[in-house]
Amino acid sequence: MRRTISLTLALLLVVSVVAFATGGQEAQEEQVVRFWYHFDDPETALTPLITKFESENPGISIQAERVPWDAYYQRLLTAVAAGNPPDVAQVKLWWQPQLVELGALLPLDSYIAKWDGRDDVYDRIWELTEYTDGKQYLMPLQMVVLYMYYRVDMFEELGLDIPTTRDEFLDVAKALTRDTDGDGEVDVYGFGIRGARGGHDWWGSFVLSSGAEFFDRFGNIGLTTPEAIAANQWFIDLYREHGVSPPTTPNDGFREIVANMQNGVTAMTIHHIGSARGMHDALGDKISAFPVPMGSDGVWTSFGDEENAVFAATDVPDAAFKWASFLAEAENNALWQESSGQVSINKSNANLPQGDLDRFFKATSDSTPFAGVLPAHPATAEFVEAVWPATMQRAFLGEITSREMMETFAEHFSE
Amino acid sequence: MTTAAPYTFLSPALIVTLLIVFIPIVYTISLSFMNYVIWKPNEIGFIGLRNYIDAWADEVFRISLGNTFVWIIGVIALQLALGFVAALILNQRFPFRGVARALILIPWVTPSVITALMWRWMYDGNMGVINDLLVRSGMLERYVPWLAQSTTALPAIMVALMWQGFPFFAVMILAGLQAIPTELYEVADVDGAGIFQKFFRITLPMISPILFTTILLRTIWVANSLDIIFIMTGGGPGYSSYTLPLYSYIKAYRGLDFGFAGTIAVYLTILLITVVTLYVIRVVRTEDRLR
Amino acid sequence: MKLIYRLLFVFLPLALILLFALGPYIWGFVSSITPEGEMYVEGLRYFPRNPTGENYARLFVKIDFVDNLADSFLVATFSMLFGLAFSVTASYSFSRFRFRGRRFLLLQFLVINMFPVVLLLIPLFVIFSRLGIMDTYLSLVLAYATFTIPFSTWMMTSFFNAIPYQLDESAMIDGCSRFGALVRVVFPVAMPGIAATGIYIFITAWNEFVFASVLTSRDVRTIPIALQNMVGQYQIAWGLLTAGGVVSAIPVIVLFFFIQKQLIAGMTAGAVKG
Repeated sequence: MRRTISLTLALLLVVSVVAFATGGQEAQEEQVVRFWYHFDDPETALTPLITKFESENPGISIQAERVPWDAYYQRLLTAVAAGNPPDVAQVKLWWQPQLVELGALLPLDSYIAKWDGRDDVYDRIWELTEYTDGKQYLMPLQMVVLYMYYRVDMFEELGLDIPTTRDEFLDVAKALTRDTDGDGEVDVYGFGIRGARGGHDWWGSFVLSSGAEFFDRFGNIGLTTPEAIAANQWFIDLYREHGVSPPTTPNDGFREIVANMQNGVTAMTIHHIGSARGMHDALGDKISAFPVPMGSDGVWTSFGDEENAVFAATDVPDAAFKWASFLAEAENNALWQESSGQVSINKSNANLPQGDLDRFFKATSDSTPFAGVLPAHPATAEFVEAVWPATMQRAFLGEITSREMMETFAEHFSE
Repeated sequence: MTTAAPYTFLSPALIVTLLIVFIPIVYTISLSFMNYVIWKPNEIGFIGLRNYIDAWADEVFRISLGNTFVWIIGVIALQLALGFVAALILNQRFPFRGVARALILIPWVTPSVITALMWRWMYDGNMGVINDLLVRSGMLERYVPWLAQSTTALPAIMVALMWQGFPFFAVMILAGLQAIPTELYEVADVDGAGIFQKFFRITLPMISPILFTTILLRTIWVANSLDIIFIMTGGGPGYSSYTLPLYSYIKAYRGLDFGFAGTIAVYLTILLITVVTLYVIRVVRTEDRLR
Repeated sequence: MKLIYRLLFVFLPLALILLFALGPYIWGFVSSITPEGEMYVEGLRYFPRNPTGENYARLFVKIDFVDNLADSFLVATFSMLFGLAFSVTASYSFSRFRFRGRRFLLLQFLVINMFPVVLLLIPLFVIFSRLGIMDTYLSLVLAYATFTIPFSTWMMTSFFNAIPYQLDESAMIDGCSRFGALVRVVFPVAMPGIAATGIYIFITAWNEFVFASVLTSRDVRTIPIALQNMVGQYQIAWGLLTAGGVVSAIPVIVLFFFIQKQLIAGMTAGAVKG
């Protein structure tokens, strides 16, 4: 028995040593840039981009790793906390404050100053991605702007016009919410609200455009003013009072939102270009898009983004920046977007033909001028991931009032 | 027999657990006494019991605590009941018994990712097969958004976990049933004992050690499990399916508040110790009685 | 009469339990052979109009699912051997000896099991990085030992307890050493219990997600990670995912099918005479 145990152990050690040795061998001569990314489609590979980069930059090799989205940020933080992050990683803007406060990111200003591609990236993107300390830590990678999808056929059937204000929107949504097969149950809902994680974009389009703001120009929290609470109440009422969103709303995530749209349960919802292909394939000409309606105090829609960050712990900062900037150059960025289905950050890619998805690209560019982001605050990540969904759901279920909901948010950001 | 013998037999397991479990645990416990929000490096420091006191003022903590009780007791009861029935049946003789025993394991060998997504898909409020079946059979009038209502979300997840976990009870109880010498039943038959008498006089007492241990270990496992809740509802709607491990996870990996997350973990451990203490005492007593 | 009894108390409940156990899979299977477009657009259907094997083909052709299966198999097997090897002697000791600190030690094996896995992650990550064993089979086998050793120790202690002590004594009277008694007499009798514990470790390791997602990345990629990889930020490749679930369950089912014969064989050896 003892012998078996020690044999097993020896075998185990041998196996793992071999696995380790083969894993770490290449690292000797050339510079290796470890890169983390996430793509929705498991089959898309970065291989063509990596091949191109490696042939243009001899001596640097890219070790790319696709990390599943649900585990992405947790793994990134664990790796940072353990002092072993990747050299470059795809990141979201709302993670930036935490990562910067952790000292995890390398400021890239001096690199960007020497980089030719700077002017080909939209100025608005540089503005939005700059951190509050005035430094640039992120290399832009892709962008999206959220807009309203709607069912053209249903609008025509009911003789509805595209709503441009919040009040018009409510009227349209009410009209679209109806019983189409005569069984006495509502079977089409006017507006699909995402009540689960990620739904702050839906909320923001109506609440942040009507008097609520995270921080006003004096840096005070502007979420609990009477206007803000009223705007929030208006949004809650879409579900509770007017019932223009399906009963499943509090738990609906992206998948439900899109499925409901595709199989005709909802007539309008908000999302970005990333889902345009699927919508078009499912519904063809029956679906189109318009910018989100105006609130009582302007228009707001969410700017969705991805950037690449270079980590401060890297041993190969120059090579790491080269890779991050390579991906932000027009030709390569266009290749990247073919996999991600999103929008290039380069001005020179603006006029690429989009074929049958033109109407969605138009809605994107029409919405860009008023697209905004959540505050660059370390509490934003938890707000997006946990606080917003839980609090919104409680308000939807009537467990808390609009005021209590906004006070919870205010408290979260004031800590 | 030398007095060293028991320790020799024990030492390999002890040394390994000491290295890979004990050290991390000490680290975690030490965090729970600190203000340790890793994005506020300047404020990191020892704060004594503050986290422990603050927890009680935190509504989410209280909700999670209550849900954790419901979760543990509910899931264990469901898994045990169904597992027991399954084991008794699988211990009968019937054709293709081996196949049936293997098939029943399927839920248990299903990765949690799949379990959670599969059940979420079945519970779907618009296209879910469960709603469709219930409406078709007339048990429901209209589709119910199972995971979107605070009253049904947690029970719905508990059913999914029952599905995943009951085969474990079945296997363990089955192994216990097989260890019962058939002679005991033969003697009972001679004495003219009925089926219930045999069950309560022979079956139950004979498998009770295994039953107790299984329940105990499973309780700890269920109490700590969060992946299925996380994927099915993320704790929602609202906080209606938050449990302590989920809250700890969210505090740690969303808020980066490792101090408070550690505190929640320690409370969970204290809760578990309380819940199982009676149990352990009982197990130890039973086992000493058998000596 | 006997037939009705069997029907009512064996076959009917058996059928219901099997239906419950397999139902989600049957539904998952239906989804996996449903073309993606058909699934969302046409609503609920109990069988797809145009069944497709495309998802299974993608699984093996475009995604290295065979490699994932191999990784999972190796990790699960080593975890099982490692866990059992370390806990068998410990359980024997707990079951057969009365010694100072026994209760305390037995309890500590229980208590350490109560700590939420998520909070072991960072310390283990740091330790394993220092040891240079990240992304190897060894890192997962060690990480899984954090719960397999305490768990198996408890599990097997109760199995050993169910074996009459007289068995060891008579073996030792016949001239066996303590260790000899364990190997030659107690082992065979405890085989069903050991096998059950082994299966437990195997399956837990096979399905484990949290540690695997943090401790491994490129070189080692187990099934749950590969499956999680199919869940995107925006889309869930539902058909692909269920196909993966179906495929990943098969090896374990087959394995158990053989081992459960072993379970019974251990019994029919007839050693449980007390």
